[in-house]
Amino acid sequence: MKLRFNRRSVLRGMLGGAAVYVGLPALDAFLNTNGNAYANGTKLPTRFGTYFWGLGLTDTPTGGTRWVPSKVGPGYEIMPELESLAPVKDKVSVFSGFRVIGDGRANLVHWTGHASILSGIAPASASRFDGPSFDTKVADAIGTSTRYKTVDVDASISRQPVSYSTRTGSTFASPDVTPLALYTRLFGPGFQDPNSDNWKPDPSIMLRQSVLSAVTEQRHALMKGLSKADQLKMDQYFSSVRDMENQLAVQLQKPEKCESCVVPKSPDATPRAASIDVVNDNTRTLAKLLAMGLACNQTRVFTFVHTAGSSETYMAGQSKIYHQITHDEPTDAKLGYQIETSKLAMQVMNGFGTFLQELDAIKEGEGTLLDNTLVLGFSDTGYAKIHAIENIPMFLAGRAGGKHKAGQHIAGNGEAVTRVSLTAMQLAGAPVGEFGAGSMKTSNPINEVMS
Amino acid sequence: MLTKTAAICALMSVGLAATVDADATPAGHGAQPNTTKVALRGLTESQYRHTIADVFGPQIKIEARFEPERREDGLLALGSAMLSLTSSGFEQYFAVASTVADQVIGSEQRDTLVGCKPTDAKQQDDACAAQFIRNYGEKLFRRPLTQGEVDGRLKSASVGATQASDFYAGLKLALTSLLVAPDFLFRVETAEPDPANPKESRLDAFTKASRLSFLLWDSPPDAELLAAARSGALHSSAELQKQIERMLASPRFEAGARAFFTDMFQLDGFGNLVKDPMIYPKFNQSVSESAREQMLLRTVDLLVRKQGDYRDLFTANDTYINRSLASVYNVPYASKAAWTTYSFPESSERSGILTDVGFLSLFAHPGTSSPTRRGIKVLEIFMCQATPQPPANVDFSKVQDSTKGTLRGRLLDHMENEGCSGCHRRTDPIGLALEHFDGLGQLRTLENGMPIDVTAKIKDMTIEGAQGVGQYLRDEPRVASCLVRNVYQYGVGRKTVGRDQAFVAAQTKAFVANGYRFPDLMKQIATSPEFFKVIVPKAPAAQATVAQVQE
Repeated sequence: MKLRFNRRSVLRGMLGGAAVYVGLPALDAFLNTNGNAYANGTKLPTRFGTYFWGLGLTDTPTGGTRWVPSKVGPGYEIMPELESLAPVKDKVSVFSGFRVIGDGRANLVHWTGHASILSGIAPASASRFDGPSFDTKVADAIGTSTRYKTVDVDASISRQPVSYSTRTGSTFASPDVTPLALYTRLFGPGFQDPNSDNWKPDPSIMLRQSVLSAVTEQRHALMKGLSKADQLKMDQYFSSVRDMENQLAVQLQKPEKCESCVVPKSPDATPRAASIDVVNDNTRTLAKLLAMGLACNQTRVFTFVHTAGSSETYMAGQSKIYHQITHDEPTDAKLGYQIETSKLAMQVMNGFGTFLQELDAIKEGEGTLLDNTLVLGFSDTGYAKIHAIENIPMFLAGRAGGKHKAGQHIAGNGEAVTRVSLTAMQLAGAPVGEFGAGSMKTSNPINEVMS
Repeated sequence: MLTKTAAICALMSVGLAATVDADATPAGHGAQPNTTKVALRGLTESQYRHTIADVFGPQIKIEARFEPERREDGLLALGSAMLSLTSSGFEQYFAVASTVADQVIGSEQRDTLVGCKPTDAKQQDDACAAQFIRNYGEKLFRRPLTQGEVDGRLKSASVGATQASDFYAGLKLALTSLLVAPDFLFRVETAEPDPANPKESRLDAFTKASRLSFLLWDSPPDAELLAAARSGALHSSAELQKQIERMLASPRFEAGARAFFTDMFQLDGFGNLVKDPMIYPKFNQSVSESAREQMLLRTVDLLVRKQGDYRDLFTANDTYINRSLASVYNVPYASKAAWTTYSFPESSERSGILTDVGFLSLFAHPGTSSPTRRGIKVLEIFMCQATPQPPANVDFSKVQDSTKGTLRGRLLDHMENEGCSGCHRRTDPIGLALEHFDGLGQLRTLENGMPIDVTAKIKDMTIEGAQGVGQYLRDEPRVASCLVRNVYQYGVGRKTVGRDQAFVAAQTKAFVANGYRFPDLMKQIATSPEFFKVIVPKAPAAQATVAQVQE
């Protein structure tokens, strides 16, 4: 068995979190208890990603829930807005009743919810987070042996490319927004087919390394005399340079064979429209490419945005956007919920179902790629009509290589959303024992879903 | 010639040696004990493109997607002073740098661009390479390179030349390395002690030169301006005046003005604009690009070419159209030229920039207009008035079915709701007066079969339709002070605060007295002492952080 891990990440893990939680995938590989494996016995890596959609799901104060199952624990029933998850239900845990506790900070609409889930802190202003998003911590722990530490994708076709992944809290990732861009990143220039029999190190890579060293050797001079804020900016710049150095170093090694890796064809151009049918089509195409990128070991970590916080999506041909409808549509007196809004929520959830099914379609070892992945699916609000940050729908999908006891419904009863985030981090293999700030600080993951 | 293995070993040791060197002998611009780096401002996409075109020639193609920029307090220029680069952003810059270097070194004009010839094109030539690195390094970093910075690139050049037995392959690497350096991708603004006032500091001459050229040209200093910085002449007000006059007279000033108004009017939004194809079948990529260009043409023609009155931007009937736009405006296009002047008749209900298809479609939804969004943007862009976030707990229970009646009726509910009324009373009247234009900016007078009422009350005034809004802006004093504030913020990369009020007021007074002429405004701001004022950021971080950074 060959292991390619970065010495520093292992050391960090040992020093930083071993006492609390030994979660490095490399160490898990030694243990190799219940994970899947390649036919030749090589342990398959655990992948991690976040999947975000805007405007929550329907759960009205009058009791008309369209997504919270009544049964808690394993074997929950499929609610109408969860229908698209039915084919992968056994691999998905549902988390209801978790909330954001702002400790006096205002609920910044369509921002506070996901900012809190990702950074652990209710943010002070609506354009930044007060800390890094936790996917970057997972990427630091498990993402250093692949070409990309992380791949960010936005399927929403909205005004601005959307990503909620950030290391500084103010600079957010620049996601790939079209299938062609994602294809180029994963399989374009620089891609090395792991299953190719005549692999040779590309001499131009070493030339690129020399270009970078001319830059990094000036780091000391540049850092000197900078203000704290500017140092943070330069930190991020040099950390980006390091990521590229790592990427080049990875490319100089002969890639391990990946049985499931089948290099896809370059995708055709796709239509640009923000209507939900187009966004879902885009989601499917991007998910297919991303899944193959994971199977071909180009990255182990991703962030995926289906639609943004204040989503611009709509039913094709309708003048009102989903966002407006969530606010304007009256609650149907008889049914207890908003009919149009719930229809749109079901459409939006089709995106998530599709996404997971694409991961589940790739066979890996004795299971599927989804079995070796953990996806945190979540939104910005609970009940969008009133911008609720209580009961924000959250899901953990995929078995994380056997570590996630999937297929359960966990009722949070008003506990902090950060418990789900912490659970996700630990299942994904980040050496993190504690997450969040103030009332949302927790060192208590949800043990029921961890094996 | 070296074997491949040997070459690899040589490469690796070069990399190692470089790192060790850096730790042993820190040196560089800013390393002088008396200078302070007061700001780091990321180069915007437009500044990047202008730089490459101005330094290497307009034939160099840049096909890349840049990291998204972020707007702060209305300006990308303010956002770029806060942002850094992500990993994928850096990768993109690296890829662009390689293609630019390929084009420069591989082009037919190579000998002219490189500026010297190696003694043997198959080998490294340190003298010629150093000359090349110093020359382009100064243009790209906007200051002379330190010896350490030159040496690092010479090493890269030598590695490349040796591996490929090609001097020019080495130059490509050296150039790529300059193009991905933080000193190029960020504008490092530096202050030094003021000799006239030893206790005070002043921006160093190269920082001053960059502020001027990015404000007026959206591009780095040219040779003449760099020379004035190098000699220190730029510190004298006579030389400063001379340089500004020269820069305003240059054709590049139009590019600078376009960049400024693209930022202020938020025209970057057109890049991602989408409309529902069933509701707005006339919308397409070409309409989107043309609508953006129309707003810029109108603005630059009036303010730069004609040196006209800024207030006319809101009321002038004269504009430019092309074939794509003619279809949306529903007017015939007879010209054979790509663009032609066009004067809107009274019946079109159009006048001024607010009635351009661009403004109306950019600030709307994919399938409908949005009086609230339009109102918010009129206040934000032209009057520098921000609208707060909507409150989280709004009672929408009274809101009616939107398939009936007009938007006005539905929005009245907002204006009656206590939590909403504060903002919606300010934003909605302006937007409602623009309601004769749908989400693409096409004229319509009915909505759901009902006539659309475009009268609106702003404070004690009653205005009528889009032309009324234009007239309102023309007469509104805050419109002038907002432009002044934006020019200043854009130039210095810092948000104005309370202590800047007197300065903005004085500059506004001068702007008004000069007849609202934009070039005069640029000149008066650029020559003001405040434009070069040093604002020292909070104390530099403790040494520990620096050590951590070195990890």
